[in-house]
Amino acid sequence: MNLGTRKILDRSFTAVGVTSIVLMALALLVVLVPIISGGLKALFFQGTIEHRQLVYNEFGRGDREELERQKEQSQEARRPVFAMLDAFDAELEGMEPAERREYRSQYNHVRDVLHDMLGPLPGDIEPLLLRFQYGNTRWEQAEESLHDLLYVTKWDYSNPNVMAEKYFTPRVDEFQGTALAPLFAYVETHLEEMLLPQPEFYWGFITDRSLDAHIFGGIWAEIQGTFYLAMGAMLFAFPLGVIAAIYFTEYAKDNFLTSMLRSANSTLAGVPSIVFGLFGLAFFINTVKVSESKSVLAGSLTLAIMVLPTIIRAAEEAILAVPKTYREASLGLGATKWRTIVTVILPAALPGIITGAIISLGRAAGETAPIIFTAAVSVGATIGLADVFTEPTPALSWNIYNLASEHEAANEIRHVQYGMVLSLISIVLLLNMSAILLRARISKKLKG
Amino acid sequence: MKILKKLFLLVAVLSFAATAPAQAKDSLVLDGSTTVGPIAKSFAAYFTKNYGVQVTVSESGSGNGAKSLINGACDIANMSRGMKDAEVAAAKSKGVDPVAHVVALDGIAVVVHPSNFVSALTTEQIRDIYRGKVTNWNQVGGPSAKIVVIQRESNSGTQDLFRSLVVGKKNPITKRAETQASNGAVKSRVATTPAAIGFIGLGFVDDSVKSLSVDGVKPSVETVKDGSYPVARPLFMVTDGQPTGNVKKFIELNRTEDGKQMISELGYVNKY
Repeated sequence: MNLGTRKILDRSFTAVGVTSIVLMALALLVVLVPIISGGLKALFFQGTIEHRQLVYNEFGRGDREELERQKEQSQEARRPVFAMLDAFDAELEGMEPAERREYRSQYNHVRDVLHDMLGPLPGDIEPLLLRFQYGNTRWEQAEESLHDLLYVTKWDYSNPNVMAEKYFTPRVDEFQGTALAPLFAYVETHLEEMLLPQPEFYWGFITDRSLDAHIFGGIWAEIQGTFYLAMGAMLFAFPLGVIAAIYFTEYAKDNFLTSMLRSANSTLAGVPSIVFGLFGLAFFINTVKVSESKSVLAGSLTLAIMVLPTIIRAAEEAILAVPKTYREASLGLGATKWRTIVTVILPAALPGIITGAIISLGRAAGETAPIIFTAAVSVGATIGLADVFTEPTPALSWNIYNLASEHEAANEIRHVQYGMVLSLISIVLLLNMSAILLRARISKKLKG
Repeated sequence: MKILKKLFLLVAVLSFAATAPAQAKDSLVLDGSTTVGPIAKSFAAYFTKNYGVQVTVSESGSGNGAKSLINGACDIANMSRGMKDAEVAAAKSKGVDPVAHVVALDGIAVVVHPSNFVSALTTEQIRDIYRGKVTNWNQVGGPSAKIVVIQRESNSGTQDLFRSLVVGKKNPITKRAETQASNGAVKSRVATTPAAIGFIGLGFVDDSVKSLSVDGVKPSVETVKDGSYPVARPLFMVTDGQPTGNVKKFIELNRTEDGKQMISELGYVNKY
């Protein structure tokens, strides 16, 4: 091969390498930017008076006097709306039944939207569900409600051969000449006075319990559950994995059984996580009965089984990488085999073992399938450390899935879902960072 | 060595903390249907608030709820269909005596994208769509577009009821039908797919989808309650034996004024 060809090959390989790295970075950005921007919206947003009232009533935080003052102010702005509704109610009473029916369904929709926006209207039955007790707590939701109030969504069905196009007509047209007509313009211009939006930093999203199935409140129970499950899994998997690795590398004879065990371990690493979930249900809960039903303990054990192969493999590699001279020196000084392993080999292999543990920890925190049947619930309270043996817990990974697919109000609470995703990523990052720091300290000590 | 010692100490401390005696406390575990889920979650919040009893709710589908009850893994199984014979037999063999309580009534709304011209179908037309005999909307008076048929997974009680009430138990659903795992997933799939048809619990219907009249009757709280809407069913909470104590209190929430109000606020239909 002449020099020119070699150069071209070399350059093109460099180009391919750089391109793939750039592509990876772009892909990462595409994933991370929406997660971060969406997740931060759960913490930072334009909060309305309804939000402040909710936080004060449910969690007792906030300045009472200031809140009273703002409430008074917003009530002042809302009064004309209520008066117009009353006037229209009276007008409806005086109408012919046919005419009244015509207005009724449109009017009910107006009332529903106003209820969404401002909370229960005078004359409504006091709602029991928290989601109906307050108006829009976030300004962007209020703006959506406003659009819904001002415009009727219609579909153009004029051509039956194609799918219809969406278009909007002003809702005020339906009420022209009635007492309700001025309401639309009034709400449009006075929405800010009625809801008093101001920038909020809702740190309670991390530390509060969830209210009304995640529609309001925070995600503390999920964060704690994720933490318990991941730590619990490591508590079982780490010692077991290291012991198994020591057996494989130091004690096991090189025979058929050992190679079978090794390949079984490798196969286990490739088993889909849902299989572990079902195994956990069948074995830990139904057969061994570690707990009556789903519990953190059963979930941790299942996750531990799932990450065990990774830990064993990493620990094995790390132990094998310890220079032979270390072992020989120790044995030469008269140390027993056991003592050599505990005092020389394990400390030298520890950084590598911890690397395996870090990877596993992230996986245990993020897995959904193994905990569906063994530990996770959609709603549940935060549990104490003493309850991990018997109680199930909500966990971030499962609740993200639940909120994305099963929740009845999934579209209205996207910010909660994004907030959970961001928290999960941050938790995994934090756990990894601390493990990496620990590893760095150990490595430094070993060298010094 | 110091670090190893520290690690062992940490493990020791954690295991000590974990073995601290768990205080005896009341708690209720609910598992099952995603259709009953919203009611169960709202009842759970109400129950915890008023009686101080912790309630956990999982939404894993009616079939899993039944399995969970049979295995003694939950106190109450939420189900959007009745127990099947096989499930009752499995329960009996494990010494579980399933007792079903109607918590509310629900219509199964057949939904399409709001841009679809079609606003009413007969049961026969819906059956033909799900059996694959009708594949284009123009065969049922709609625009020319290939129908995207959406069904639920076999674990779903809604799927069971839809099959027996509309498609016919023996008739297979077309292989082209796509499967979604929950009411919410069906709704969002239909809301984003102009040519789709799906079915969801009445409580899940909102502006993003259009519910069809079936045999000329629009699904609503009134038509489900008076029995005129054809695709309606009771929703169950199933217990092991006649309920007592907290389970009984929870099951009977739907007869209290507050319970009735919560059910109607969620868009379901009260039985009592």
